[in-house]
Amino acid sequence: MTATADRQMELTLPMVPDIEIAAARAAGNLARELGMASESIDEMAHALIEACINAREHSGSADRRIYVRIVGTSTADGSPRIDIWITDHGKGFDVTEARSRRQKLGAVHKRGWGLQIIEAHMDEVEISTTPEGGTTIHMVKIGKAAEDQAASMGES
Amino acid sequence: MTDELRVSVDRRGTTGAILYTKGYINNVGGEEIANRAYELMDQGVRTLLLNLRETKIVNSIGISILIEIIEKMMDNGGKIGFCCLTPVIHKTFQIMGLANYAAMFTDEESAAKELAL
Repeated sequence: MTATADRQMELTLPMVPDIEIAAARAAGNLARELGMASESIDEMAHALIEACINAREHSGSADRRIYVRIVGTSTADGSPRIDIWITDHGKGFDVTEARSRRQKLGAVHKRGWGLQIIEAHMDEVEISTTPEGGTTIHMVKIGKAAEDQAASMGES
Repeated sequence: MTDELRVSVDRRGTTGAILYTKGYINNVGGEEIANRAYELMDQGVRTLLLNLRETKIVNSIGISILIEIIEKMMDNGGKIGFCCLTPVIHKTFQIMGLANYAAMFTDEESAAKELAL
C-alpha cells in the first residue's frame, strides 16, 4: 500500500474471503482524514464491499487479484470527495444485461444485488468492462463534511 | 481481519425470541444467524426479532440469507422484525426488498411492543 500527502492509496488484494473489509477500512480511513461524515463513509464502504465481492465471486480472473485505487480530494465548495477504482483482470460482464435481469426478476430476489447497492450508495458510478480486459468500476462519493452532519443532527 | 459474527439469543416466552448479532453479516455470518433462527423455529418460535445494534456492515450475500430466513418463517406462519439498524443498513435492506416482508423498528422497546415479545 502507498499513501501520499495528496491522499492517494493503491492496494493489490488477493481474492480471499472478506478481503473487501481491508479495502473498506482503507477508504474509510482516508475519507475520515478528509473530514467526511460517518454516514457517507458507511455508504461508500458498503458500495466498495459489493464491488470487491463482485470481482472476487464473478470475474474469473486468472491472477486472483483485485486492484484498488482510492483518491481523496475536495469539491469546489469544500465537500470531501472520494474517487475509487476497483479493477479485476477477469472476463468482464454485460452491464446492460445485468441491469435488465434485475428488473425482470422482481422486487425480491435473493442474489445479484451488488450493482444496485453500489449505485444507490454512491453519487457517480462508471463501469468499463470487456471480455479481454476485465472490469473497472469507478465510483465517486461526495460526502457531507462531518461538521455539517453534526450540525444537522443538532437541528433535528 | 474481520469482525467474526457473534449471535446471542434472548427467549421471550415459548414462541418468541430476540436474536442479537455482533459483527459483519456476510455469507458466514448469515449462515450463523440462519442456523440459530432455524433452531428456534424448530423449538416453536414464531416471532423473531433481530437486533442489529452491534452490526455495522452487511453485504448482499448475507442479506440474501436473511431473506431465506424470512421466507422460512413466513412459511411457518410466523413473523420477523429487525431493529436498531444503522441508516446505511436500513437503506440497503430497502433496496433489496426486505422492508416488504419484515417490519423495521428504530429500537428494541418499540419492536418488542409491536411484536408482542
